[in-house]
Amino acid sequence: MSALRVCRLGVRYGQHRVLEDVDLELAEGEFAGLVGPSGCGKSTLLRCVAGLLRPDRGQVTVFGRPVSGPTPEVGILFQDDALLPWRTARENVALPLRLRGLSGREARREAEAWLRRVGLEGYGDHYPAQLSGGMRKRVALAQVLAAQPRLLLMDEPFASVDAIVRHFLELDLLRFVTDAGMAVLLVTHDLEEAISLSDRVMVMSAGPAARIVQVQPVPFRRPRDPVAVRAEPGFGPLVEAVWRALQAEVARMGWGLTA
Amino acid sequence: MTRLAALVALLASWELGSRAQWVDPFLFPPPSAVGAVLYELARTGHVWVHFRVTLWEAVAGLALGTAAGAVLGLASATFRPLGEVVEPAMALLNAVPRVILAPLFVIWLGIGVASKVALSFLLVMVVMFFATYTGVREVDPRLVERVRTLGGGRRDVLREVYVPSVSAWVASGLKVAVGFAFTGAVVGEFVASSQGLGYLLSFAQSTYNASLTLALIALVVAVILLLFWGFGRLERWWLRWKSADRRTAHPAPEPAPAAGPGQ
Repeated sequence: MSALRVCRLGVRYGQHRVLEDVDLELAEGEFAGLVGPSGCGKSTLLRCVAGLLRPDRGQVTVFGRPVSGPTPEVGILFQDDALLPWRTARENVALPLRLRGLSGREARREAEAWLRRVGLEGYGDHYPAQLSGGMRKRVALAQVLAAQPRLLLMDEPFASVDAIVRHFLELDLLRFVTDAGMAVLLVTHDLEEAISLSDRVMVMSAGPAARIVQVQPVPFRRPRDPVAVRAEPGFGPLVEAVWRALQAEVARMGWGLTA
Repeated sequence: MTRLAALVALLASWELGSRAQWVDPFLFPPPSAVGAVLYELARTGHVWVHFRVTLWEAVAGLALGTAAGAVLGLASATFRPLGEVVEPAMALLNAVPRVILAPLFVIWLGIGVASKVALSFLLVMVVMFFATYTGVREVDPRLVERVRTLGGGRRDVLREVYVPSVSAWVASGLKVAVGFAFTGAVVGEFVASSQGLGYLLSFAQSTYNASLTLALIALVVAVILLLFWGFGRLERWWLRWKSADRRTAHPAPEPAPAAGPGQ
């Protein structure tokens, strides 16, 4: 059974066709990257998969079941971490556990364990306002992983943190999802990030009526080090291949320098 | 410190000017004389009867106004057609000086406690209506989505997002409303009454008793400042999550990368 199957998906806002005939499939435990020109509808696609937006056409199936609304089976990490500001880091991480029916004490204990795993031991009593951007991102990661989703959707999750923190976060993330056998769909602008983390990179066409135009398999085995993999001889040609596909799409929007 | 020194200097020069007859001590009685009147009021216990009445009216107005404002604000924010009618009405009430309604309340409700509570209620209700109404409308939709995608239903969203978000606005509104509650009670008494601090004030004014007037003003201001301070503390405690102060003594360093789950 595939983790995610998107079939002839179409979304329009009024007369504006955002997505049209989007087909994509994710195997269980697969890590897929999704790149595309700005504003092409990548986030819209993620919202459909998450059950936050009802598509006008087509179907989204998660682990064999059609999506009709948000479910704990699908976790999401957005670019702007929306932690509850009035809850401490520990309470934020404990939230999905309590929603799953754990008692307050159990939820707190497990939340503490998750905080330790993302390197935030001793910060459980801090409110989000008292943490740095990178630390908030870690709390958000712990929160979404604590819900134990089988499919994780990420929309530019690390765009707002600096490059060093970002590498640490990517390292942690890759280890967790590999260990848990979680399927991941990662939307990003960063080609190298997409390739260094994914098993497969998909390129989306420029909007309107965007769809998937190229699928590029990434041959590096997991577990892998997302920094070290950039030194592999095959990495450069991969970046170039994906870049060529993306470049054609950007040029089609009239922004590229090449015709 | 500077402000305290300035206050002391002002009071001292006032005292001096009044005693030396540079200003008319009948119109500007020295602070010491005002203090003596205050002491006398407290000693005889005469003022407490009036103080209790005013406090009662203000507290009743505050409680009823807060409840009504919150319920109306909540209903208007969640039920659109109601909001479209109520919101402009409240905005209008907010724009006009509501104390001009005081004489009307006296006609309707008599010179007893009810007309003062009504005025206090009205002043408070408008403030609390806007606090609640804005609070509900300003709820961050990202937080609602977050709770929903983590497996929360409608009730979870209400408990985790709406209640804390709205209560933050209400806490700020309450601080303002306390002052309004007293304004309503005192002004109401000032217009027509047989007891209360406003009644005493109006009595002092009619007998040209400047020191009693000043003493009563000082008393009312002191009570409002005290309540304001108290509610300010309450708000700070309630909204402690807003403060960016680290609890640790030193700024926390960026934590080291995590150990794997297996380790």
